Amino acid sequence: MWRQPYFIFGFFILSFFLAGSFVYEWVWGDVPAQTHYLMEDGRAVEAAPISPNWQHPLGTDQYGYDLLGKLMLGAKYTILAALAVAAVRMAIAVPIGYLFGTYFDKQRKWMSSFADSMHYIPLTLFAAYVLTPLLWMPENGFSSTLSERISVQVIIMALLTVPIVSVLVANEAALLRDKEYILAAKTLGAGRFRIIRKHLYPQMREKIAVLYGQQVMETFIILAHLGLLDLFLGGTKVSYDPMFGDPPMSISYEWAGLFGSSFRYLQSAPWLPLAPVICIGLAIFSVSLMMEGYLRSKNPKIKKVRRQPQEDPVVEWNREQLREKMVRLKNENQPK
Amino acid sequence: MDDKIKKRENFPKGVKGLKFLTNFCIAITGIILAGSLPILIRGWVEGEWRWRLYVESIRETLEGLWPIGEIAFLNYRAGQEMPLFPNIFAYIVYSLEILFLALLVAIITSLTFTIVTMLLSDNIRERVKMRLYFLESVPDLLIIMLAQLSVIFFFKETGVLISKIAVAGDDRIYWLPVLCLAVLPTIQLYRLSMLTFQEEERQMYVELAHALGFSKVYIVLIHMFRNAIISVFFQSKRTMWFMLSNLFVLELMFNLPGIMLFLRGNMHPLGFLVTIFSFFLPMFILYSFGEWFFVSRRQNKAVA
Repeated sequence: MWRQPYFIFGFFILSFFLAGSFVYEWVWGDVPAQTHYLMEDGRAVEAAPISPNWQHPLGTDQYGYDLLGKLMLGAKYTILAALAVAAVRMAIAVPIGYLFGTYFDKQRKWMSSFADSMHYIPLTLFAAYVLTPLLWMPENGFSSTLSERISVQVIIMALLTVPIVSVLVANEAALLRDKEYILAAKTLGAGRFRIIRKHLYPQMREKIAVLYGQQVMETFIILAHLGLLDLFLGGTKVSYDPMFGDPPMSISYEWAGLFGSSFRYLQSAPWLPLAPVICIGLAIFSVSLMMEGYLRSKNPKIKKVRRQPQEDPVVEWNREQLREKMVRLKNENQPK
Repeated sequence: MDDKIKKRENFPKGVKGLKFLTNFCIAITGIILAGSLPILIRGWVEGEWRWRLYVESIRETLEGLWPIGEIAFLNYRAGQEMPLFPNIFAYIVYSLEILFLALLVAIITSLTFTIVTMLLSDNIRERVKMRLYFLESVPDLLIIMLAQLSVIFFFKETGVLISKIAVAGDDRIYWLPVLCLAVLPTIQLYRLSMLTFQEEERQMYVELAHALGFSKVYIVLIHMFRNAIISVFFQSKRTMWFMLSNLFVLELMFNLPGIMLFLRGNMHPLGFLVTIFSFFLPMFILYSFGEWFFVSRRQNKAVA
């Protein structure tokens, strides 16, 4: 796995963001640098949002905060949340899938047509609909802490597609269960649990890993979509001030929030919404690189060896050599 | 697409019809149960179980559904209540138009790409495949924003507005949203159909056809296409699901007068139910019909 360039490259991108995020907070604190005006020869040349320059490689937002700093600070929330959502989802869905694949095979049909109905509910819409009561700040402020909200959000987002994922696992397990070696194991007296542990799980480990990768990618997308709806990871700060109400704001600097609160600036300050989305894209890209690398390490590509028809060595004989050879053959074959 | 839906009328009754009906009922129950979920969650956040409120809300929703003509929703564009028929229905139709147009575009382009790549040599095929695989990780939001920015850029440079990038009032724009919506599903479907086609290529009958001297184009187009398309269809449901989320974002970003945007102003169980049903019905019918069509054809072949 660690020899695959794809895997290493993807891992490098992802760990760069994560490590960078913690290092940034450690070195510069959790408030990014703020610049209100850009001065040049004693005159203000540009007010916030400042476009990208040497001092601020990605420019600043409408309040003068450095965008790169915000992105780095937010990276850990977004990436860890996506990894956690997918992990919780798999942790719940895989055992359920095995249960339905082995113990409750008759109920599997019901389960799968129930999960089928989930395919008609757009996931973003569903997530937004369910999470609104949790994330939208009530008028008198949140009653829960940030970490509480994040963990509840992670669990809810994980639960949303548990039926679909577990049906996938169940179907896969049921397919494997009908194989002959499992029948043989059963005949030898292996219990169902042993079959799951010793036969089904090792067989499906790769598929489960790929499924995990897909779930992480999907979660990134859903987080970004939720950002567009002003539902940010860990809650949305809403200003109920009727006169000078700020737009809804993200409490942590996570990427979805950075994007969601700035996509109205697409025309005037395109770097504001573009940078977080590109970061999300990079994160997804690195996950897909890691998946590809993992798969390649598990089943190394069988190099297609063009099997050329073995050419018979053409030997030019001259007449004398031929006679010699034939004489020798004749002598050899003769019984003594 | 439309005549496919109409043909469903002659759906044979009997065992298949029964299965269709059960699936339909389970799906509807699932959606209704999901519709009142926020009540449970809100209770959960505050530390109590609100099962009774949950059941109550489901009952209220179902009761609110009955005289279907009287359902009215707040339309925040117009700032007033609007009846479901015909006003909201027009939104639904517009959303569905965009969705199915994009689906059609995605299917046609991805299949064309697949067939073209299948005809290429192995080396080039691998390279093309890898590039497109990684394109899949581009978020849909980025595609939409880049499309909008490039339209603006083009306008600034040449003064020609290719397409409107946002809708004011009840205007309709088609081709740019359809294009944006179709990009990612195209790549996904391409990946899916490449897998199926390559699996199909290893089958014996392809080798036989080669041996009989049929050309590669003919084998791919006639023989492999027919077999591969069935499994592509069965696996395309996930793509469809993904497209629905994309459509939602698309309507927000382009400010399209569609059903998703309208739901944003009506985040309550009844609004949720009506919105989901508007997608659920056509898609469910399409998929059930497709399933029936392909399965029965396969069976006919097996018998004959």
